Amino acid sequence: MLNVSNLRKEFDTIVAVDGVSLTVNRGEVFGLLGPNGAGKTTTIRTILNIIKPDEGTITFDGLPFNERTWNAIGYLPEERGLYRKSKVLNTIVYFATLKGVEPKEARRRGHGWLERFEILDRAQAKVEELSKGNQQKIQLIISLLHQPQLLVLDEPFSGFDPVNQILLKDILLDIRKQNTAIIFSTHQMEQVEKMCDNICLINKGRPVLSGSLRQIKQQYGKNSVHIDFEGEGGFLKDLPMVKKADVYQNYCELELHDIRQSGELLAKLNGHLLIRRYEIVEPSLNSIFLDVVGHQTSPVAP
Amino acid sequence: MKKKLDIAKWEFLEKVRSKAFLISLILMPVLMVGFAILPGLLASKPDTRIYTLGVIDETRELLPTFSKKLEEKYRIENDLPNYVIRNLWIGGDLNAVRQEAVQLVAKGEIYGFLYIPSDVMLNGKVEYRAENVSNFRIAERLSRTLEETLTEKKLIAAGFDASLIKELRTRIDLRSLKITEGGEEKESGFLQTFFGAYIFIMMLLFMVLSSGQLLIRSVVEEKTNRVMEVLLSSCSANDLMVGKILGLSALGLFQVAIWSLIGIALSLQLGTNIVAVEYLWLLAVYFVLGYLLYAAIFVGAGAPVTTEQEAQQITTYVSMTLVFPIVLAVPATQNPDSILIKVLSFIPFMTPSFMLLRISVQLPPVWEIVGTLVLLAVSVVVAMWGAGKIFRVAILSYGKRPTIPEMVRMLRTR
Repeated sequence: MLNVSNLRKEFDTIVAVDGVSLTVNRGEVFGLLGPNGAGKTTTIRTILNIIKPDEGTITFDGLPFNERTWNAIGYLPEERGLYRKSKVLNTIVYFATLKGVEPKEARRRGHGWLERFEILDRAQAKVEELSKGNQQKIQLIISLLHQPQLLVLDEPFSGFDPVNQILLKDILLDIRKQNTAIIFSTHQMEQVEKMCDNICLINKGRPVLSGSLRQIKQQYGKNSVHIDFEGEGGFLKDLPMVKKADVYQNYCELELHDIRQSGELLAKLNGHLLIRRYEIVEPSLNSIFLDVVGHQTSPVAP
Repeated sequence: MKKKLDIAKWEFLEKVRSKAFLISLILMPVLMVGFAILPGLLASKPDTRIYTLGVIDETRELLPTFSKKLEEKYRIENDLPNYVIRNLWIGGDLNAVRQEAVQLVAKGEIYGFLYIPSDVMLNGKVEYRAENVSNFRIAERLSRTLEETLTEKKLIAAGFDASLIKELRTRIDLRSLKITEGGEEKESGFLQTFFGAYIFIMMLLFMVLSSGQLLIRSVVEEKTNRVMEVLLSSCSANDLMVGKILGLSALGLFQVAIWSLIGIALSLQLGTNIVAVEYLWLLAVYFVLGYLLYAAIFVGAGAPVTTEQEAQQITTYVSMTLVFPIVLAVPATQNPDSILIKVLSFIPFMTPSFMLLRISVQLPPVWEIVGTLVLLAVSVVVAMWGAGKIFRVAILSYGKRPTIPEMVRMLRTR
């Protein structure tokens, strides 16, 4: 569906994005990750033709951006906002007509979505009268009502309570089933882990990690131990076989020099801690993220 | 084109539905009527009441003629006299009578009183006292009538025949006629011509101000609430700009049209003459081109703005250039052929206002019309092109306003 190669964009003094390449297929959720200011938003804006790249090509099904592409993309920007004084349903219909949906059809679909998000009773209210979470729902509806083939969501989960997060997750999975390509930009790793097939991690404008989530995790190996415990866990990070430790009150993630030392580790814990769970796992995306971004590694091929 | 129209429709409908629009729609004519028409109406409104005025005539000879003249000359409905004169002094202590007169005014028995001293024939000095001396019409009429009475007295004293004096007095009633291109004569006063042209310039000003301001504000709003990004993932910056200009111009036209209808209805009601404007099509061409030029300027100046306050400032500066010709409107109407006015007519920002004014007064030479139109049209194209460039880059700039060199760079971008 979408193919981006060697994207480069400079602003006055800084290189915002350099050498970013990615491919997103229909029916796939693609995670665009990176710390704040890494160049995620610039990458997205270039893909959506809001700004022009200095170098690199972007194609949709092999074609460069054209008149028809406008109607095939949907976008939820990170910073939220709507016309405050306008009515909810009118706003939805306006953005849908801009995307080429007939007003009547837009109204019908708008009703459907408002119902699914359980805010149909607010259809005639002014946007400013809605709570922040509900405004975010409206924006989400706007980004997907025209059934885009490529849906770009910038931090879609932030601002939603757990109930609505589940609702959103279900909706995204539905859309994905309808063969839509979804780009999902975030730094909330748990969401990425649950939903994404492929990811691209960028840092300081450059891609540092990309490929399928499974491959990346395998590449980083099974050298992590997750422990639920009771007791004073402060000593864990000083143990000789532990390479890196992330210790919380009742939980820790340990990265070992060699996973074969896990038996030794378990022995050391005996008598110090009451262990509720002891598990050898793949590293979490979060720890990979911290590892890669924290250590400033050079680009890694998948 | 469909997207442009969709945007135009949205901008138009959302603004028309807003309370602010409704308020300005009603408030503006009310203010206009209040400021422009009402004082005139009040001042020229015929009196309906009879004023009783006291006179203390120390000369003892002017009063009969004076009161007769005053009562005959100024009449109100049903042929009643506008002013009734009461003689306050037949003899006795003058000071006491004057004090008594003041009491009468205070009690409301008389509206005011005129004191004619005995030496009035020599120096012409009289006194008028009333609670409300700002009613200048009464004072003016009293003094004029007294003047006539005195002149008559003096002439008779010099041996002139009374009937001759009446004949000598000729009332002047000036009619001014405007000669049009066709050679016909048409009744028209300076004021009529002036206001004819003035109304067009005012309409242009209102349209530019109201839609220009709305344009800037809507851009600022979309920047602050980040709707801009969603819009730009749905249409091109150019679609957005053109759509906005179209929608808000339609709004401005709608507003002006409603005001004009109110204006026409009012004038019909009041029986005022409606100025039939010649060369309406030519005026319309200048009007539209002028409007587009200003729209482009507003877009270019407004797109980089990020806050409401800045938007206000920009609006003020831009409208200054439009208001300037209004300052020069009177000299331009009186002397449309002056070199200064001609030169100013060729400055694109001022072309619309000055040409609207000049055409209403007297049709300028053809070469000037063609010249200004070509220059204006070229400026519109250039301004639109530049505005489009700036708009495309500036609508995505948040935070600080770009500097002039940055704006120049925007013009150069692909």
